[in-house]
Amino acid sequence: MLDNLGSNLKDALRKLAGKTVIDRAAVEDLVKDLQRALLQADVNVKQVMQLSQTIKKRALDEQPPKGVTAREHVLRIVYDELVLLVGKTVEITLGKQIILMAGLQGSGKTTTTAKLARFFKRKGMRVAVICADTFRPGAYTQIKTLCDRIQVPCYGNPAEQDARKIVRDGLASLKDEVIIVDTQGRHALEDDLITEIIDLNEITRATHRWLVLDAALGQQAREQARRFHDAVNIDGVIITKMDGTAKGGGALSAVAETGSGIVFIGQGETIEDLEWFDPSSYISRLLGMGDLKALAERVQESIDEQDIDVNAMLSGKFTLRDMYRQLEAVNKMGPLKQVLSMLPMGGMDLPTEALDVTASKMNKYKIIMDSMTPIELDDPTVLNGSRVHRIAMGAGANLDEVRELIKYYKMMKRTFKGFKGGEKGMQRLMKKFGKMS
Amino acid sequence: MFKALKEKLFSARKKLENSLEEAKPEIAVIPDAAVDADILPESVSTPASLESERKSAPKFTEKLVSFVRDREFIISEKDIHDILDELEMGLLESDVAFSVTEEILSHIKSDLSGSKRKIGTSVDSIVRSALADALLGVLGEGVDIVSYIKEHDRPVKILFTGVNGTGKTTSIAKVAKFLQNNGFSVVLGAGDTFRAGAIEQIDVHGQRLGIKVIQHQEGSDPTAVLFDTVEYARAHQIDVVLGDTAGRFHNRANLMNQLAKIRRVIKPDLIVYVDEAVAGNDAVIRAEEFSKSVGIDAVMLTKVDMDPKGGAAISIAHAVGKPLLFIGTGQAYEDVMAFNPSAVVADLLGDA
Repeated sequence: MLDNLGSNLKDALRKLAGKTVIDRAAVEDLVKDLQRALLQADVNVKQVMQLSQTIKKRALDEQPPKGVTAREHVLRIVYDELVLLVGKTVEITLGKQIILMAGLQGSGKTTTTAKLARFFKRKGMRVAVICADTFRPGAYTQIKTLCDRIQVPCYGNPAEQDARKIVRDGLASLKDEVIIVDTQGRHALEDDLITEIIDLNEITRATHRWLVLDAALGQQAREQARRFHDAVNIDGVIITKMDGTAKGGGALSAVAETGSGIVFIGQGETIEDLEWFDPSSYISRLLGMGDLKALAERVQESIDEQDIDVNAMLSGKFTLRDMYRQLEAVNKMGPLKQVLSMLPMGGMDLPTEALDVTASKMNKYKIIMDSMTPIELDDPTVLNGSRVHRIAMGAGANLDEVRELIKYYKMMKRTFKGFKGGEKGMQRLMKKFGKMS
Repeated sequence: MFKALKEKLFSARKKLENSLEEAKPEIAVIPDAAVDADILPESVSTPASLESERKSAPKFTEKLVSFVRDREFIISEKDIHDILDELEMGLLESDVAFSVTEEILSHIKSDLSGSKRKIGTSVDSIVRSALADALLGVLGEGVDIVSYIKEHDRPVKILFTGVNGTGKTTSIAKVAKFLQNNGFSVVLGAGDTFRAGAIEQIDVHGQRLGIKVIQHQEGSDPTAVLFDTVEYARAHQIDVVLGDTAGRFHNRANLMNQLAKIRRVIKPDLIVYVDEAVAGNDAVIRAEEFSKSVGIDAVMLTKVDMDPKGGAAISIAHAVGKPLLFIGTGQAYEDVMAFNPSAVVADLLGDA
């Protein structure tokens, strides 16, 4: 979300390294970098100014506790303030509930509705969806198609013009535990549509009113959120389209404006791409402090223990066999980039080529490795010209592709070694944070 | 439209003017020393050296010579620094992307600071023209779509691209209606074969407007759909083909390649990039990516009614260097306007 924040902060924090006294110039540099990163991420200008002033003031005025270096002290303050900015954790309850979806046109409400339905269904709930978008042509077909794919009942009537009537009828006929009401896209300056959503909120007596916001939304986010909040009292924000390059800062401003928190993040076009959001672990990740909790969960969810031996990887004993398992596991776990971002790396630079290996290439690699002998898999150093030739023949690949695989393997190995070695300071820091928070 | 941006610009302009007015008397006190400025030896400051130092910090003597001999004074960066800061905040608050804001400011700065102003010329006109230059430089020129179509071989093929949810399909319906009103026959190609309900959406628009929609099954090859659309237009002597495509993110190589394929096969006359006025900094990034991988000939900005700020228009236009063709201002078919940059700039710099 605020990814470029990480690297900017890292540079700024470096200037504070080893200092015992807070250096005013360094703090000012840091605040400037922070401002720049937040503004580029579309966080509301006023909020950015406020936040950076608070950080500056606290960094300069507060005495660091004994034994805490200047750098840790400032990092701690930045962490605190950023967690505040991102808002509180929104817990998801698995009980009887009605969720009303609100948002601007084209923010991804309908897709998100289907994703949510799938989320609750996977948690073992009985879920149904009501389509109250009576305006956009094809809206009912869209949600109906998506619901059919995940076998969730969908109530709607494309011939009916009155959203209130559809919702009333839908509520009367559906007996499911979780009911999600998809509404027409609207912006907060359209009065009759705002009246409509107020009515829908009353009719449904919704448990939650979630605002769906596009990650690319700019300064307008705050104003829109305020008006929606005034109308129906928004209690959670879902940020969509985080798989693009947008940073979602506008949505953060919306969170602050509504005093709610981010519930979910939409990461892609397929129906599985929805992630629950935990502010503190997110900020930890951002500041390079890692998110081992989330990693552990993710691993448990998707991988058998034999799949990846994280400890072996980190200890530098990383063989082609490990890489083979990893490639298999990656399919289940999501992109390597995401997984690695959960490790405490202190925001160290990873070679991007190592991370941007496409799915088709991964498959190719697997096929090539299938043509290797166990000895080669366990000890890649034995690979020589004639072996490479044999492997290429066996896998129906050309020599360059095999060499590329070996190159990739070496890069991964170096990368994992890097985790282990360089960042002792970061581990110490993490312990400290563990104590403090 | 763009009311907030207009107000910001207006207040920055007024402040610039005030500070320049204030800057004047400060210099005006000086001339006692130079009673007979006209006879100052040329060697003190020849016109050549004057020219070379123009953009650097002016020396006192230079200020003096300039003031007395040429009856003008030099605007220093200091005079306008605070106001530029304020203008920066104003532009950022209006959703002009960070990088674009910096560029506009440096344009104004280099335009104003170090420049000389004849005493008696209005400060207003200097400031206004600096701002107008900067904005027009960014917005570029408009396109007249009606004469464009008249000048080109039929059918004129227009392809709409953009990221998800910016309003491509709705925009196509609006543009179709606009072209119909201007006496052109139109056919639509349902090239969004990915999103559930997209084909139904464009089909309903087609029925309402009485326009033929060429469509295949959901999940079929969009290139084939659009190819068929062009063939249909040829066979039926239709003037304009409007091709829809599925929304896609610029960081998805496969999807961008699919667009490149569509482009190769149907060879569109115009590729219109659709984005929304409410987008923030990302507007620049994605417009650049689309421009790089499939090309952009014109921009259509949607949801302008949602956002009175309008900075995205400036950001996108700047990023791709292509004209804004239309802006979408509401949910009805009529809510579309041709975009005229000089009118917009004149409006922005008018009195708020």
